Amino acid sequence: MERKTITIFHGPQHPGITGNMSVELELTGETITKARTHVGYLHRGFEKLIERRTVIQAFTIVCRICVPEPDPNEANFALAVEQLAGIEVSEKATYIRVMVLEMARLAAQLLWMAGQSGSVGLGTVGQWSIYDRDLILDLFEALTGGRVYHMYIYPGGVRRELPEGFLERLGALLDYLQKRLVEYDRLFFDNASFQKRAIGVGVVKSEEALHLGYVGQVLRGCGLKRDVRRDNPYFNYAALEFDIPTQSGGDVFARALVRRAEMRESIKILRQVIAQMPTEGAIMQKLPKHRKFTLPKEDTYVAVESARGEFGYYMAGDGSEMIRRMQVKGPSLIHGFTLLESLLVGEELSNVALIMNSLGICPPEIER
Amino acid sequence: MQNLMQHFEIIQKTPTLYALHVSIETLFNTLHHLRYQSDFITLSQLTCTDWIEEERFELGYMLTNLERNCNLMVKCFIGRDDVTVASVVTLFPQAEVMERELHEMFGVGFEGNDTLYDFALEDWQDLPPMRREFDTLAYVQSHYDFRDGRDDNLDVKEQIKIRKAAAKSAKEAQGGA
Amino acid sequence: MKIQLKNSIAPLGALKKIFEHPKTLCYPEVKAQNVTGYRGFHINDLSTCIGCANCQDVCMNEAIDMIAIDVDKNPKNNSGCIPRIDYGRCCWCSLCTDVCPPDSLKLESECIWADDDSNRFLYLPKDKPC
Ligand code: SF4
Ligand code: SF4
Repeated sequence: MERKTITIFHGPQHPGITGNMSVELELTGETITKARTHVGYLHRGFEKLIERRTVIQAFTIVCRICVPEPDPNEANFALAVEQLAGIEVSEKATYIRVMVLEMARLAAQLLWMAGQSGSVGLGTVGQWSIYDRDLILDLFEALTGGRVYHMYIYPGGVRRELPEGFLERLGALLDYLQKRLVEYDRLFFDNASFQKRAIGVGVVKSEEALHLGYVGQVLRGCGLKRDVRRDNPYFNYAALEFDIPTQSGGDVFARALVRRAEMRESIKILRQVIAQMPTEGAIMQKLPKHRKFTLPKEDTYVAVESARGEFGYYMAGDGSEMIRRMQVKGPSLIHGFTLLESLLVGEELSNVALIMNSLGICPPEIER
Repeated sequence: MQNLMQHFEIIQKTPTLYALHVSIETLFNTLHHLRYQSDFITLSQLTCTDWIEEERFELGYMLTNLERNCNLMVKCFIGRDDVTVASVVTLFPQAEVMERELHEMFGVGFEGNDTLYDFALEDWQDLPPMRREFDTLAYVQSHYDFRDGRDDNLDVKEQIKIRKAAAKSAKEAQGGA
Repeated sequence: MKIQLKNSIAPLGALKKIFEHPKTLCYPEVKAQNVTGYRGFHINDLSTCIGCANCQDVCMNEAIDMIAIDVDKNPKNNSGCIPRIDYGRCCWCSLCTDVCPPDSLKLESECIWADDDSNRFLYLPKDKPC
């Protein structure tokens, strides 16, 4: 009997797809024989808009490049501007930045947990983790004035002082989360129905992982210990103690376990930050000629480790108030095209959402 | 790195970022050399900057080493019109989509990459949008409407002038009386 | 890795949450507390606003219009104009409050406004001293 091949679009309107993108799948029965990623439903032209804005005006747009975890963008932007203009940041501001980034990482992992569990039909986990994420957002609200988009890490420092009693609130939340993580283990990571779906699915080959430019949990899930916070430390990560968890399976489950361990590392880092946070010191180094601030004709590349892997910015100034070029390198461009298209071949249709969530593909940073 | 520095004119920008300028003729061979004879085996970003006043684009191949702790930017100036660069998909498979993006956004051709179809824009007939001669404001004004009810916006500089003149004439009138 | 029976049963422990009090709020009877420092609506102290339009200049979303003031409250206001904000465009970045020379423009924590016509979202900041 001759087998018929059909072509379907998975997304952009599909609960199992990560954001507004779609994958064109060729199917024989339930098995995928070819996959092609399509983006373009979310193209907002940020890189173009930034070319017509002054540095401080561009600052407000960068956080919108990544919805689940905006802060690495702000950190990258600040790092790049500071590097080009040679601005030093105070120690206190650096600590606050690390704190914000780690809180954002925790929030992003909790959001990922909701997506990943949803993709195997475990709705309860999502409800729990979104609630816990909201508790982190409450802290962000008190600190920065915004829940999701914080616009807080500013070139030269951070924009607001820590509110009264903030570190105590954070400490209490960490205690709470630490207890919750045990419950999550029981409900999700050790759950037989998740393990059954996740083990052995979406296996990334570790031989090609470095060469093809994969980052984050995809690398660490196949046993490669790479993390920008360690390899290329920014802010004061070099002075903080934390481990880089790895797993050897390379499959969806290995990546989930890496994330589970990373949440514990984030809590560890945050506890150190609370203990070491300087009480004195300025939080902001004023930019020279604030509104008419100019960048020299130079270029640079900076990167931070986001919750899904290396997030880099290329920035070129041209001696004027505008930024000549700012190009975003998110983890999703390579993961969403090179990796996803090859990984899906031979998989079942029902595993598409599972794999996409586990790679952490997020279209807003693919097309900016 | 030391070894490479003897071979190429590499400039150190920061402790972990190096830059190397090459000509368009030697670009592919340099990348080939770096890919197979050095640690820089990953292409993590392909950038393009439009220097319209110098009438050229600047391509940047961001290479990352095995340890992921050092970046080397291989840069190359190319002309702005009808340029074609040799594609590097044979060296770095991930370049396929990066080249597709630059082809769409800047109009740079990549010889040897046959997947240069639409990336994010569908059926785009206009100028490639990231080129600097593409005017975003004009595009927006011709494609979108602005909200009504905002025409009472006043030019503040004008208003200050009008007010000053009014104050002056009031004063004069007073002085005259 | 072998999947054990325990791993199928342990998740059922979540059932004990049934007896807990729900975490959600009963809106509108119970409302979430306003947070000090939240970036909500703008307020503008008209007795100190000097009508300089710095806020309009810096706003990259072009959300701010400078409109003629009804009653002059500040003799130092040279232009007789005050800002009005288009909340269809504003992104609450608070750059305008950062660059305001007399610090008259601020954000308050009030943030709820529902309307069925988006063209009505032109907001004249409340005149509140900060
Ligand atoms: S609100 Fe501030 S910046 Fe805006 S016009 Fe008044 S004084 Fe100037
Ligand atoms: S908060 Fe930002 S977007 Fe809103 S009016 Fe002020 S500058 Fe414009």
